[in-house]
Amino acid sequence: MSTVVSVDLLVLAPALAPVLGVVLLLVGDALAPGRAGGRWALPVAACVLVGGAVAAVRAALVAAEDPARTLCLPAPGDACLWSAGPRASALQAGVLLAAAAALALVHEAAALRRDTAVTATLLLAATTGGVAVAAARDLGGWLVALELATVPVVALVALRGTRPATHGALGLLVTSLASFALLVLGAGLWLTATGEPTFSSAAAAGAWEDPQRRAVLALAVALLVAGLGFKLSLVPFHAWTPQVYPRADLGTTAFLAGASKLSATAALLVLVSALAGVVDGPGPALVLGLPAALSLLLGTVLALRQEDPARLLAWSTVAQAGWVLLPLTALSEDGLRAAAAYVLTYATATLVAFAAVSRAGARSLEQTRGLLRRDPLAGGALALALLVLAGLPPGVVGLVVKILAVSAPVAAGVWPMVAVAVVAVVLGIAVYLRWLVVLPGPRREGDARAGGEPPRGWASATVLVVGTALLAVASVLPHLLLTAVG
Amino acid sequence: MVVSLLLALPAAAGLWLVTAGRATPPRLARPLAAASALGTAVLAVLVLVTGSQVDRAWLPELGLRWSFAADGISAPLLLLTAGIGLVVTAHAWVELPPGGSPAGYLGCLLLVETGALATFTARDAVLFLVAFEVVLVPMWVLVGRYGDRRDPRARADAAGRFVLYTAAGSSTLLVGILLLVVSTGTADLRELADGAGAALGPGRQLAVALLLVLGLAVKVPVLPLHTWLPPAHTTAPTAGSVLLAAVLLKMGTYGLVRLPLATVPDGFGRLAPVLAVAGAVGVVWGGLVCLVERDLKRLVAYSSVAHMGFVVLALASGSETGVQAALLANVAHGLVAALLFVLVGGLKQRWGSVDLAVRRPALRETSPRLGLALVVGLAASLGLPGLATFWGELLALYSAWAPAGDRPRGVFVAAAVLAAVGAALAAAYALRVAGLVWAGDRPAADAGTGTDAVGVERWVLVTLAGAVVVLGVAPMLVLSSTADAVAGLGGLR
Repeated sequence: MSTVVSVDLLVLAPALAPVLGVVLLLVGDALAPGRAGGRWALPVAACVLVGGAVAAVRAALVAAEDPARTLCLPAPGDACLWSAGPRASALQAGVLLAAAAALALVHEAAALRRDTAVTATLLLAATTGGVAVAAARDLGGWLVALELATVPVVALVALRGTRPATHGALGLLVTSLASFALLVLGAGLWLTATGEPTFSSAAAAGAWEDPQRRAVLALAVALLVAGLGFKLSLVPFHAWTPQVYPRADLGTTAFLAGASKLSATAALLVLVSALAGVVDGPGPALVLGLPAALSLLLGTVLALRQEDPARLLAWSTVAQAGWVLLPLTALSEDGLRAAAAYVLTYATATLVAFAAVSRAGARSLEQTRGLLRRDPLAGGALALALLVLAGLPPGVVGLVVKILAVSAPVAAGVWPMVAVAVVAVVLGIAVYLRWLVVLPGPRREGDARAGGEPPRGWASATVLVVGTALLAVASVLPHLLLTAVG
Repeated sequence: MVVSLLLALPAAAGLWLVTAGRATPPRLARPLAAASALGTAVLAVLVLVTGSQVDRAWLPELGLRWSFAADGISAPLLLLTAGIGLVVTAHAWVELPPGGSPAGYLGCLLLVETGALATFTARDAVLFLVAFEVVLVPMWVLVGRYGDRRDPRARADAAGRFVLYTAAGSSTLLVGILLLVVSTGTADLRELADGAGAALGPGRQLAVALLLVLGLAVKVPVLPLHTWLPPAHTTAPTAGSVLLAAVLLKMGTYGLVRLPLATVPDGFGRLAPVLAVAGAVGVVWGGLVCLVERDLKRLVAYSSVAHMGFVVLALASGSETGVQAALLANVAHGLVAALLFVLVGGLKQRWGSVDLAVRRPALRETSPRLGLALVVGLAASLGLPGLATFWGELLALYSAWAPAGDRPRGVFVAAAVLAAVGAALAAAYALRVAGLVWAGDRPAADAGTGTDAVGVERWVLVTLAGAVVVLGVAPMLVLSSTADAVAGLGGLR
């Protein structure tokens, strides 16, 4: 064999698809600049993303037994830089579909902007990073993929050009630089502690046995979690979220709330799966549990007081990030599965909510009054999404993932987290019911929104229909969701 | 198969009515809802006759099975729920509350019924919890949208309080169930009852029992956790109050029998004295409030707190007689509360308010049928022999007087005495209401006629009053059904 590294293109397809999309867009834009206002770019990008998602789903089905590996180094190291089990593949499919949904929302608002090809390129680039990080097993690839998933989004927020958007982008940039610094430091300490540039359980176990290296490993984990905390919007690293969400355009916000959170969770799962079953004691649980508890409480309490839907969803993201982290405090295989199932459910419901908000053109909760009658598709989808986020039937899938998320710490006996979760469930229900209650309402005459009817394109309708269908199917057969995440 | 249909029929009809069929006019929606309720009632009988059950994997990752079946303990409650479902859908001909589409209202009623039926037939602890949660949102809509029109703020407050209290209870219940499932390795309620908590150490048993009892006590409600009940019952439309009192509260007591009592009897035994005292205090407290309460609907709500106090006291006693008494008193209260709420709802519709401080002509003269129903309801409420409540509450007092061997007898005897005082209070407030409303204190000369119950309302009242009398004369109808199943519960003496 002449090759140093084996490459399986089919396994890499989920990450290659958005790269292909970037190439297509750039070439197309170079050949025919500004053709049709660049609107052709979005459908092309969306098709590529859906193709990538199909490849990821195929990988998840094929890889039920063994993870699909590629980019393997020759023996004796035999390490693979890309290893995607069913869970990673499911998260990849989630990232790709969430990015496609965000593109659809950009498309909806694209009438006002000229730089759609640029937007689509940036989104695809960020998606590539988000997909790659789920399968990355080496520190270098993991860090690069994570940054690739973040940096283009800063440009996306800034692209809007308004003053608040620039402020938001600046905040996001500072945040992501700080988080990158923490991640690099954490990765360095991980390398020092374990002596290996990969996230492997064996190496972590070796380091945990040795009391001196254990301290370094604990510090490494703390820094890596803090770095990821910025991307996941965990308290106390959340401050950018409620600033950026209302200031960026809805498509970008939807990308931040959906695809970004999925890829950050995928990155976190890579880290925690190396620790699960290996480390024990209160230290690691505290490192994960403290931000989880703070996010759950602060996010929910502040979401209770918001009037702007984007702001409410921003604080709700903070709280839901706490829910994603909650099962991981058990440091068990069940916890990993619960976190993956939770984040997929959360992302679907949140994207549906953003699509509905975009369709309604609402800038305050009051403007969604009567949405169920005015626009039954958006209103009904939003109602189901809110119920899923609250964890109440008929949004059964929301309840099931909450049960899963609580059952992991109960099994591991992490009681403080369980107590926090109980409080967060109740407060969370209050948050989403407060919005749900205005949705039926009477149709008010003379309530013509300034600026005419918002665009009612097929793009947001597709997001609503697909998202609602996914939530409904998962509510009836939650087993499908759990099979998907291993 | 039949049991699946039993759940699928009201669920499908209810979902259709609240979504696609929202705009269905009342003349179509009402027969549709009533027909679904009738079909559900027929299916409920069929389930009991055929012993139908369904059991397949639903969520193997959690060990959760899609498992529904009825046994002797759930049979009376299943029939009660199906019957109340018929009553509330029929009542839509009497009163269709404003606030939203009539079809949506009827759909919510059917969805609540679905949740209750699923709760009473669930054979899996986690599934029980999921079913328990199904009733929350439709009930929230019923109270919050279709409730009392006078004060929107009070309506929102009552609905929110109902949801948040219940959610706090069910989250606690969830933790208890998960701890139980993790400790025993099964979520099947039959296996859990057979094991009777033997796999758990005493500390773990107590922890599980505490979580389960705390969670369910909100729903029952047991005294310090009852503050959601009066506003919710008072604000809800008539059919909503009927469902709340006759069906939803029963889910709490049924849960107490199925979960802590059957699965962790020793842990439950250690909590029983506290529960008994809380129940007895609830009886007295409810009675005292009823003596001074001005709003008749709120008065009936507080009387529910008192009646549920008897049920809790009987459950805490830990004897077979106690559990039998609790299950009987449960069904009896369901019928009596439904009768009184239908009646009070009718009075409210006629009078605009049911403030007892307003002097009104005697009901027995203006509307003799309503008057008779009121007397039957009040007599049942005070525990008159020959009416439904009598046997349940008498047996509850007896079982508290002679509790299971491992219960501290002194505490239980004191609780029994306290509850007996409460029963006397019930007589006092029943007579107060009878004096103010039935006998009246204003000459009837100016009272119009023709306001008596006619048509559907009359038949609803006749049916409920008849059921109250039948159960009072023949309590064995319920007791014989529950006897075998109760004898099979582990940990009872």
